Amino acid sequence: MDIFEILSPLSILLCFLGVFMGIIFGTIPGMTATMAIALFLPITYTLDMVDAIALLIGLYVGGISGGLVPAILLNIPGTPSSLCTTFDGYPMTQKGEGEKALKVGITASIIGGFFSLTVLYFFAPVLASVAIKFSSVEKFLIIVFALTVIASISKGSLLGGIFSGLIGVYLSLIGMFADNNQLRLIPPGFEEELTYGFSLLPVLIGLFAIAQIFQESEEGMKASPHQTFDFKKEKKNPFTFKIFNGQIINTIRSSMIGTFIGMLPGVGGSAASISSYSQAKNFSKHPEKLGTGEPEGLIASESANNGLIGGALIPLLSLGIPGDSTTAVLVGALLLQGIQVGPLFIPTNPDLWDGIIYALIIANIVMFFLMFFSIKYMAKIIYIPKYIIYPIIIVMCVVGSYAINNGVMFDVWTLLLFGLAGYVFMKIGIQVAPFLIGFILGQQLEKYFIDSLKGSGGDLTIFFTKGPIAWMLWVLIAVSLVYAIMDNRKSKRSGDQSITPST
Amino acid sequence: MKDLLTVKLKFSEYHTIFPKIMLTILIFLAVLMLLLNIVKRIREGTLTAFRFQFFVDNYDKLKFYGTFVLLIAYAFVLELIGFLPASILFMFLISLLFIGNVKKKSIVVSLANSLATSLVIWYLFGQLFDITLP
Repeated sequence: MDIFEILSPLSILLCFLGVFMGIIFGTIPGMTATMAIALFLPITYTLDMVDAIALLIGLYVGGISGGLVPAILLNIPGTPSSLCTTFDGYPMTQKGEGEKALKVGITASIIGGFFSLTVLYFFAPVLASVAIKFSSVEKFLIIVFALTVIASISKGSLLGGIFSGLIGVYLSLIGMFADNNQLRLIPPGFEEELTYGFSLLPVLIGLFAIAQIFQESEEGMKASPHQTFDFKKEKKNPFTFKIFNGQIINTIRSSMIGTFIGMLPGVGGSAASISSYSQAKNFSKHPEKLGTGEPEGLIASESANNGLIGGALIPLLSLGIPGDSTTAVLVGALLLQGIQVGPLFIPTNPDLWDGIIYALIIANIVMFFLMFFSIKYMAKIIYIPKYIIYPIIIVMCVVGSYAINNGVMFDVWTLLLFGLAGYVFMKIGIQVAPFLIGFILGQQLEKYFIDSLKGSGGDLTIFFTKGPIAWMLWVLIAVSLVYAIMDNRKSKRSGDQSITPST
Repeated sequence: MKDLLTVKLKFSEYHTIFPKIMLTILIFLAVLMLLLNIVKRIREGTLTAFRFQFFVDNYDKLKFYGTFVLLIAYAFVLELIGFLPASILFMFLISLLFIGNVKKKSIVVSLANSLATSLVIWYLFGQLFDITLP
């Protein structure tokens, strides 16, 4: 079918606008793609169905992609799924390779986007039928697999990293357990505020943004070394597409992981980039360099990040199950248009299905060119003096936290509490990234654990006897862990030698 | 063996099973780390040598505690006096604090930044997009 029969000039324009606004939302720490879509929902009431979906898809792609800008330049993930982008992106900025890092990230993003788009288009019905067969046992093991990344990103102490991650899991359990509506772990007096636990967004930006501001204020707000770097100096080692030459397998593997994890209902976005980053580290020829500013890690995180967009749309469009919070808002948008998503969606709405595919193609291309050629101007953010940018970030974080659940003051307190906690964590040696990963995945870990036990009547052996898919996942978990332990030993040994040559 | 690998499930206690498991593992890890640390210290002969310093040397007391107090004060007054006045006041004070002096130029910069940002956020998010602001 011809693209212009489906998409009018207006829908293309709306898609463009969506990407532009999405990038802005993604770039500002504390504002997410989910929020962008939720905010533009009222506008879509008045639009035609295809126009509306074009705008929303644009926002989705732009919002997910924009997250790499603050992750790379400021070490603050703009969206939860760009968490792993900070691991290598920010060190590159510190080395004066900010622009190169951004361009690598953007290129990885569009590759991931197109990969998942192709998968969505050709394999949607087939792949969805595999994922839907996953019982809670397999889902539990998938989460455990995602958690193994904690072991591979632990800095220095492996045990300390795992400990930090499990503290995150523990804190994520605060609140009501959905199965029997019982409250647990809530400090007395906070029953009302913590019924649903701490909101993820304030925790996330508190740990990263506010904690960093505390740390900088302790050091007296001096100008960072990267602020004195000049982008023009990068002529020596500029961005070329050749960086991707040795990274083809990495890019495809990460896009695949992103797409596949995006497809699993309920596993969600951040797990995608976390898993692919850990796999990139495991398969890397020089794993010890990841985390110090290697394009490799950046490619892994960003291609998975955008890969999950197409992936998350697969269960949504073929089964009506939203894979993450963003697609959950999309279900709402489609329902407002009077469309029921489910197994019959594609056969009964062929025009809309094509419209979604075309909108995704256009959104990805627009995202790429918009970001690739304006990145120099966007990257100017880092030259703004700290005494100007930090107050702005604080107010944006407060607004974002307050608005995420439609005006809850407790979310602002959560932001400040975890800001302070993040600062204290850094001081006492609890690692923030493992903590956060535990916090993000904790509730799902519990849900699928309990669901699995319900199915087996409390028998723990169910996790080993479930079947071939579960065994395969166990193998993946074991391989991932062994790699992490060996990597940790290796880096420890080389680290020891440099400090105390006698041992 | 069978008993060891079976968890007793009771509907009214679903919510406490997983936290208990987590807490057990956490305590186990904490004890393990403590033991390993003691073993390492005995081997290196530094069992009693403690040197822990929370703040960096010569940390900026004014900026650190100032940030802390201003953030809490901001959250407190937000709902009392509304987003716009609270944000303008907060941003003005914290910019001044971060610059670190009260020269004429710093006051102008802080004032311009606080007014511009607060008004843009207020208009863009509060009015145009209808986001709930404090």
